[in-house]
Formats: sequence, C-alpha cells, structure tokens
Amino acid sequence: MSWPLRALLGPTLWAVAFAVIYAAHGIGCARGWPAYQAPVGDLHHFTMILLWLLAVGAASAILWRAPRGNDTSDRIIRAGGWIGLAATILTLFPVLGLTSCGATG
Amino acid sequence: MITPNPPQRALRLHRELDRVWGRPAGWRGILTSVNHSELGLRFMVTAFVFFAIAGCLAMLIRAQLATPGGAFLDTALYNQFFTMHGSLMMFLFAIPMLEGLGMYLLPKMLGSRDLAFPRLSALGWWCYLFGGLIILSALVAGVAPDGGWFMYTPLSSKTYSPGINADVWLLGVTFVEISALAAAVEITVTILRMRAPRMKLTEMPLFAWYMLGTSAMMLVGFPPLILASMLLEIERAFDWPFFDVTRGGDPLLWQHLFWLFGHPEVYIIFLPAAGAISTILPVMCRTKIMGYGAIVAAVLGLVFLSFGLWVHHMFTVGIPHMALAFFSAASALVAVPTAVQIFAWIGTIWQGRPEMRLPMLHLMGFFSTFVMGGLTGVMLAIVPFNWQAHDTAFVTAHLHYVLIGGFVFPMMAAAVYWMPLFTGRAAVRGLGPTAFWLILIGFHGTFFIMHLTGLLGMPRRIDVYPDNSEWIWTNLVSSFFGFVMAAGFALFALDLLLQILFGERTRRDPWQADTLEWAMPMPAPSYNIASLPFPGQSALQLARGEGLLPGAPRGRRETLVVDAISGAPRHIAVLPGNSALPIVTAAVIGGFVLLMLFGFYPLAPFGLAAIGVTVWQWHKFMGSQSDEPPIEAAPGVSLPVNHSVPDGLARTGLTCLLIANGTFFTCYLFAVGFLSVIAPGWPAPESTIGTLPAGTLAAVLILILIAASGLARFPLATGSTVALPLLLLGLGVTGGLAMLLDDPTRHARDALRAAGLGYVALHCAIAALFALLCLVQRRDGRLAEGRVAAWPIWRAWQDFTLATTLILVLLIAAQEIL
Repeated sequence: MSWPLRALLGPTLWAVAFAVIYAAHGIGCARGWPAYQAPVGDLHHFTMILLWLLAVGAASAILWRAPRGNDTSDRIIRAGGWIGLAATILTLFPVLGLTSCGATG
Repeated sequence: MITPNPPQRALRLHRELDRVWGRPAGWRGILTSVNHSELGLRFMVTAFVFFAIAGCLAMLIRAQLATPGGAFLDTALYNQFFTMHGSLMMFLFAIPMLEGLGMYLLPKMLGSRDLAFPRLSALGWWCYLFGGLIILSALVAGVAPDGGWFMYTPLSSKTYSPGINADVWLLGVTFVEISALAAAVEITVTILRMRAPRMKLTEMPLFAWYMLGTSAMMLVGFPPLILASMLLEIERAFDWPFFDVTRGGDPLLWQHLFWLFGHPEVYIIFLPAAGAISTILPVMCRTKIMGYGAIVAAVLGLVFLSFGLWVHHMFTVGIPHMALAFFSAASALVAVPTAVQIFAWIGTIWQGRPEMRLPMLHLMGFFSTFVMGGLTGVMLAIVPFNWQAHDTAFVTAHLHYVLIGGFVFPMMAAAVYWMPLFTGRAAVRGLGPTAFWLILIGFHGTFFIMHLTGLLGMPRRIDVYPDNSEWIWTNLVSSFFGFVMAAGFALFALDLLLQILFGERTRRDPWQADTLEWAMPMPAPSYNIASLPFPGQSALQLARGEGLLPGAPRGRRETLVVDAISGAPRHIAVLPGNSALPIVTAAVIGGFVLLMLFGFYPLAPFGLAAIGVTVWQWHKFMGSQSDEPPIEAAPGVSLPVNHSVPDGLARTGLTCLLIANGTFFTCYLFAVGFLSVIAPGWPAPESTIGTLPAGTLAAVLILILIAASGLARFPLATGSTVALPLLLLGLGVTGGLAMLLDDPTRHARDALRAAGLGYVALHCAIAALFALLCLVQRRDGRLAEGRVAAWPIWRAWQDFTLATTLILVLLIAAQEIL
C-alpha cells in the first residue's frame, strides 16, 4: 500500500466509524430500537457498542501494523494511526453510558 | 543523481522564456492571460476590495448598534447589510484570498513554471469576478440577500422570502464556488504532480502541506453546500419540497448540509494562514521550524476531525443527548491538533532569535487573538454552555476572534512578508506598525467586550435593542473601537499602496529566507525560473539554465511532472497559452445564472446548451497529431511528453473532480436517508410509478451503462463509435423514466427521485460528450497508438456514471419494495 494511503488509513477508519455509528443512532431512534432487549442492554446500545468496539479493534490493528522506523514518513504513518485510534475512542465513547434518544430543546 | 545542464547567458534565456510565457500588453493581454502569478494577484486584490466593502458594511452595522433604538438603518436594510457582511467576508474575501495566495506562491515554492491547469485558474477568477458583481449589484439595487449568511430555511423559502434576495445568494454563491472547486483541483494536482524533481512529499515546504490539506477539504467540503443551494433554489423556483415540512421535507436538512460545509470552512480558511505562519515565523526567528512531522500530522488530524463537528452549530435544535455528546467530544478533540501547531510555533520562537519586524508583529497579533478564540471555541463545544450562549453576541465575538485571529492577522503578515516578491519594492517605513497597533487595539476593544454583551443576553442580528443599561455601554465601546480598527485597516491598505507606488527597488531575498520562491527575480517573471531546480542548486545556477528544462527552445510552455510521492521526474507537460476561452466560458455561465435569477426558466436549457458548446472548445488545444520523441530535460534525463502518457495531469485532475462529485452524490444519499428517517410526513404517499415499465427502463439504462463501460475499455477507445449512440439512447431512457415519475411537487421523496434522475441524465450527457471527444480525436489522429488523449478520462467518467446510477436505481427499488 502506498505511503499516503497508509497515513490516511487511521483517520479514514474514524470517519467511517463516526458516520456509521451516527447513522445507526438516528435510525435506531426513529425505529424504536431502545425498546428491544439485546444480550447486553437494549438493541440500540448493543448495536452501537458492538460497532464501536469493532472500530476500536480495527484502529488498534492499524496502529499495531504501523512501521516502527524513525524517518518522517514512518512517523507520519504512526501519527495517522494514533489520530484514528484516539478519535475513535474519544468521540464515540458516549455510546457506553448516555440515554440514546432523549432530547432537550 | 542529475547532471546539470551547461550554463547559458541568463538574459538570452529570460527573453526566450518571456516571449513564450508572457502575455500581450493592453486589454487583450488582461482578458486572455492564464499566468498563475497574475491570476493569483488578481484573486488577492479582488478579495481585498470585497474585504473593504464588507468592512464598510460592518461599520454601518456598528453605527446602528452604537445606541439603543438606533435610527441609522431600517430593519430591511440592516438585514441585508449583516447578511452581505458575512457572505462577502466568507465567500468573496476569505476563500478567494487563500486561493490567490496559494496560486501565486505554490508553483514558485515547489519549483514549477505554472499551475497544472492554467486556463482553469483563469476561468475560476472570471467566475469569481462575475459572481461577485452579481451579488454586489443586488446590494446596490437594494435586493441583496437578507436571511443571514447561513440562509436558514424556512426563512429563506419562497413563502417568507418572496423576492429575488435569497436567489441572489443561492445562485451567486454557487457561481463563485465554481472558482473554489477549480482552485481546489488546480492546487491539489500542482502539489502532487508538479514539484521540483526529487522533492519528496515528506520534504516539501510546510505551506504546501497546509495547502494540500486545504484543497482536499475544499473538494469534500464545498459539495454539501452546492447540493444544498441547488435543492433550495429548485424548491424556490419549481416548488419541489426538499425543506417544506408539510410535504416530507425538513428545514434541518438545510442546516446539516450547510454546516457540513460551514464548519470545515473555518479550517479551510485557517490552514493556509497557518501555512503562512509556519513559513514566516522561522524566518523572523532566524531558525528552522520545530516539529515538521508533528505539524504534518496535526494538519492530517485537522483535515479529518473538522468534518466531525458540524452538529455543534445545531446543539439547540432538539438533537438526542447521545448525538450531542459525539459532536461535543469531537469539537473539544479538534483543539488538540491546533494546540500541537501552537506549541510547535512557540517552540520555534523559543529556539530562535525573534526579530520584531512588521510580519512578526502581525504574527504576535495572531497569537494573542487566535488562542483566545480557540478557548472560547472549547467553551462553545460544551453543550450546556452552548445552550446558554447560542445565538448571542458571544458567538459573534468568538467567530471574529477565530477568523480575524486565525486568518486576517496571518494574511497581513503574509502580505507584508511577500510584498517585495509581488512588487519588487521594499516597504515604506512608518505606517505599517501604526496600522498594526490600531488594528490590534481596535479589534480587541470591539470584540473582547462583545463576549460580555453576549453573556449579558444580547441576541445576534437585532437592529434595535431596548434601553437596557447593561447593553448600552458595551455596544458603544464595541462601536467606538470598531472604527479604530477600520482606521487601522485603511492605514494598512495605504501602506501597501505606498509600497507599490513609491517603494525602493529591493534586493533579492530581503528576509534571507530559504524557501524556493525567493530564488526568483523580483518581481517574479512570467515563467518563474529559467530552469527547474534540483537539490543543491543556487539561484544563479538556475538563472543560467543549469537546472532542468532550461529556456523555451521549442517555443511552447513546458514544465515538469513528477511522481506524486517520490518526486521522481515522470514526463514533460505542455501547458496551454493565453486564451479568451476562460472569460467567454465564465460569461456564458454567468448568462445562465442570470436567466435563472430572473426566472426565465424556459430559456435556461439554451443557457445550458451554450455552456456545453463553449466548454467543447476547450479540447482543441489538447493532444498532438504526431509522435514526439522524448525531451532531454538534463543530460541523461530524457522524458516523454504528456500526450503519450496515460497518467497525465488531466487524469489526476479528474480523480480530484470525481472525489468532489462522489461527495456531492453521498450528500444526496444523506439527504434521502435523513428525510426518510427523521423528517415528519413520512412514509410518503403511495407511489404511482408503474413498477414494470419503470423497472424495465431502469434495467435497460443499467445495461446500456454497463455496455458503455465495457466499450470504454476497448483499445484506444475504438468502442466510442458504438458507445456514443448507446449513451444517447441512455439519455432517451432517462427521459422516459422522467415521464413515469410522480409529481415532484407532491412530496420530498418524489422531488428527491426527480433530482436524482436529473443527476443521472447529466452524467450520461457528459459521458456521451467524452465518447464523442474520443471519436473526434481518433479521426484527427490525436488518439492513436502511443497517444492516449481523452481515452482515460472517458473510461473513468463512464465507470463513475455506472456506479452512481446503479446505487440510485437500487435505492429507489429498495424504497419501492420496503
């Protein structure tokens, strides 16, 4: 795989995970998924947590396979991996705790 | 290792190159020039004029708000002025200014002779000028847009904005966005393919990294706004209810699409300014930039993360808590890559020996302003605070801290830093520092206090306010310092004018910088450098033609194309010369915009046909009717000419365009998904399209496109003879499908289907034009063994058309079945 694609892999994974989980959140609220039971909690939380864990796993794998070298191109690939992992964990961790469809406004 | 060319007389080389790369004197030259230096300067000067106009509007707004119950402007005029202030600053000042700076500097910094598509640069500037003039004319005529710079529906719908005010915004801004997309394609391809030989991607100047991030963001960031503007204009013109809540539409769709563009826009504006800072700061501190790799990673992070924040502009519309948390976290997280850059710059100052010259003063202005804007940004990212401050003057203060701090101060630093390169003249001493202090004091006096005004509860965009003692003095202070800032900007402009008129001739590289643009003669000549540089060459050696491709011995505009990553020389590109086609094309597009603006819809198809005919003329320069031997760029470095290579600049440019087009289509899918899941008024009424006839026609269309994609793979586009009539038949089939559709004014679902079919028809028509082009090029010998001409372009377009049509047909089929 070429250098720019490897550097972009982590952030791209975050973008895809963010879009998919946000879409799953909207569709789940519209279709009443929180009312259905799942192996862990309700179907809505279960789906989103599963997607999130898959994304975190994939982002970790990208970072694990990043080159260990010390030249600029290797370091940028590693930084891309860290960006993907950190963004996936930090922007999507709310799937763990919050009520999924309650709104104020 | 590249061996230098033998030295030649610099003056002879200059004359030879200027004859080929220059332009005729007088009006003919002005109207036909495609030179990147001239167009870059035109972009910047025009943008500054719009900045001055928008600044005058701001002063009128401040005059109105200086006292409660101000009688200086009436409500209608005030609404037009604040809308025009925001729209001019965002669309006609900030974006064109950064485009102009990038267009001017990039070829020089990267060691090239021009941008990748010079005629596209010119088309972009003319579209910008004509679009800007349409918007300004509306202001003069008193029918300027008046719904705020983000044009929320339903306020901007036909019901509540019945005049042409909103149409001026929707059509004028979309017209100007053509120039933004043109610039984005231009800049991306230039950075990736037109660097100096052996300049690796990971070694190029940071300014190029920032501009690459910016242009990539523009390719993905502008399509949502273009789609939104088109949908709203179609709703206003033909009553297709995309945003009408009573017929399955939703005003929130506009907000989503607008802010999908609007938030990345802030970073699109900030990144080039940060590129200028990363270039100027080390020179002012007599050191190297600290943390090159960390800054590149920060740019990468910003480019992606900035697309995950848009909903923080919509925190108060009633979005579920979990979604609020996603976007709140992303909004806070984006501060990290920004902080990485700030610390890298502070580290650079710390390790160097800062000299408080004028560019450095403006950079200090940047630090003191932008960091505060960033901190209030983190405050606004926190949902409970956002709910309190939403739509108050606090947000107005925050956005001005970010935009003036993050763009205007760095651009002023850039202007005074690169003025010697633009003009060949040194600054006139005296006015610059005074202008800087007036702007800095005026800015903070205006906007720091405005945070308090907002926290005291004053809403944005009101023309009068009650006799509330808490708001009176803060508004008066803001208005007073607003005029101080305006005086500072006037003085800044005067300083630049004096430099142009009376500045002394400056020596080469007056700041003793180490970037390549300072290796040019000053002001830079039409061709930039007499020979293209490779590592270790001095300015004198380049002027004597010891680099690659010295002079213009074949009497045409030649420059080098390299591998996107390694910078290894690949081939020679022959660029087009001066041409009237850009201005003619922009004028024809402008004519179409005016037809739409004044409601002459029956004539609009003729406008579209005229655009097609004009654009068709562009191919005439392209290609060669005979085989050409490789050109020796340097001893032992022989390279083919672009006519014979399949991965030329046009192919890279088309890839960029298809990324933008794919984003546009994805946003359309988002609109379908959003309305069908979230909007009230769904499910849609029973569809009356006949399943059998519509399904049959859709299957025929898909089969035609599959066949055309297969035919486009035949060697040397021999399949174009059969593909052309097939594609015309495909166009006919889309017409048949259109007859079967439900009335698009009935429900948003039907309107979206009609819009989707229009998209497919347009793509089929363009594919047919590409097939025709290949046919013509085969007949006149430009497409033959060893000469690929438009064949790779047609193939890629054909595949894209097939993919998007297939997705659309499957989507409609799923809607019908489910």
